[in-house]
Amino acid sequence: MTSFSTNELIAAYLSRQIRDDDLCFVGVGTNGRAFTLAVGIPLAAVRLAQMRHAPGAAVYWGNLLEPDLSVIPESFTQDAFTRWEAAACPPDTGTKCDMLARRRFDVSFNSAAQLDRFGNMNITAIGDYRAPKVRLVGSLAQPEHFAFVRRPILLMDLDKRSFVERVDFITSAGHLSGGDSRRQAGLGEGGPHLVVTDKAVFDFAEDTRAMRLRSLHPGVTRDEVLSSMGFEPVIPDTIPETTAPNAEELTTIRKTIDPNRILLKV
Amino acid sequence: MKDKLTTLEKALAPVISGSSLMLGGSLLRRPPNAAVRHLIRSGVRDLTVMSWAGTTAVDLLAAADAIRRWEGIYVGMFNYGLAPNFRRGVENGRIEVRDFSETAMVARLRAAAQGLPFLPIRTLFGSDIARVNPEQIRSFSCPFTGETLQAIAAAETDFTLIHGYAGDKYGNVQWPVVRDTDDMDQPMAAAAKRLIVTVEKIIPHEEVRKQPSLTYIPGNWVEAIVEVPFGAHPAACDTLYDEDDRQMSDYVARSRTVEGAESYLAEFVHGVPDHTTYLEKVGGAAALATLDVRMGD
Repeated sequence: MTSFSTNELIAAYLSRQIRDDDLCFVGVGTNGRAFTLAVGIPLAAVRLAQMRHAPGAAVYWGNLLEPDLSVIPESFTQDAFTRWEAAACPPDTGTKCDMLARRRFDVSFNSAAQLDRFGNMNITAIGDYRAPKVRLVGSLAQPEHFAFVRRPILLMDLDKRSFVERVDFITSAGHLSGGDSRRQAGLGEGGPHLVVTDKAVFDFAEDTRAMRLRSLHPGVTRDEVLSSMGFEPVIPDTIPETTAPNAEELTTIRKTIDPNRILLKV
Repeated sequence: MKDKLTTLEKALAPVISGSSLMLGGSLLRRPPNAAVRHLIRSGVRDLTVMSWAGTTAVDLLAAADAIRRWEGIYVGMFNYGLAPNFRRGVENGRIEVRDFSETAMVARLRAAAQGLPFLPIRTLFGSDIARVNPEQIRSFSCPFTGETLQAIAAAETDFTLIHGYAGDKYGNVQWPVVRDTDDMDQPMAAAAKRLIVTVEKIIPHEEVRKQPSLTYIPGNWVEAIVEVPFGAHPAACDTLYDEDDRQMSDYVARSRTVEGAESYLAEFVHGVPDHTTYLEKVGGAAALATLDVRMGD
């Protein structure tokens, strides 16, 4: 078997979640590992999907609709964003907000400081909202993603501090307290669909809407996963292994999509 | 048409302690930093500040302890991490925050632009953003369908401060054909009561008239316009100059402590009498030329 990195495993796995003609939201921000999770892996995944089975898949990135993923910028300073070629660049961010509210997005890629059993997420404050231990960035369009996007996908490293029984602040309402509480609150279809981590993949049980272990990455044990979480997810009787990338996917990622290891760097 | 070209000092004189202020720009694009440094020098305090994705401008005001309340979608330093002074201000209770998601903030701006008290959204059901803010986010029943919607109060501020690319002395501000449009400056201008703009360059009105479709802020809406080259420094003005990594890193590093942030303000805000001296202080023409991203245009 060909060897591969965890980032390559995740990128290839995600690319198989992208369907033809999906419109996918990808964020713009941050650096280091957070950049890889929020920007690098998602861009690589959508590009791989475009090249293999989903030529009609598109990205909304920053305020660029369908930026050219065959030439992804290799430096992420302002001018690289300004010059990235795209099909459309609407006059302000309000257009993207309208598209979100009208449910035009199929997939979004999200990360959070905290995520709980029912997929509620927090990027606003750790501790008490009015006197927080850590004030985070606020909300951006993360509430919109969970409210309106069909299949939001969370991309986070598995960690006890991030995977908590209950988030300190619900920035984005996921499946709230489970069952049909999301619908009761007035939200439509949607909410977090998959949680892809460096150790395992999770989804949400159809009835309780609680986070459920879906697959373990090759070489990772169930106990390793559980010891990295602040709550116990639903564990099915048999746990499959996350499908490894094949040789062709790996070659495409390494030779064509990310030859200089910018997107999947750290 | 009325000549509205003036100085930072005159344009910002009406902004007094206790004012509410909408700040333009998004992430590291065009925050009105020169205007904000001037406000800090003038000693205004107790501001209610609103922003889209706020970075340097909001954090500088927080460093100067000039913010009483902030309302918006984000404050951080983009790829430079959390906003150190804003974060400290919120954590120690000096800054009250009211978070709004993007569709909520868009609704607030459009409501203000239309002279309406609110506009509805259906984003924040189940979110604590709505739970903690009954003053500005309230559920109501749609008079047509009976569906529950959320009314989001209009974003009314005393002043709106925007940094733009180029404008004429009458306050008509134009954007370039190719630019990074990920911001809400135009809707903010449309929502403004008293709109003060700074621009990189004052251009002849004759040039503006030839391409009026590029005017995103009509002078008709503007109270004062000021020419402030590198007015977004140390952040970027897309198509003209990039963010100044050296200055951004220095600011963030020093801002890890209150004393460090104070030393930054003493050196780059209070220690320089005006924007021209500030530009000299950060390295002058030679240093600024390294940030230039114009491609022969």
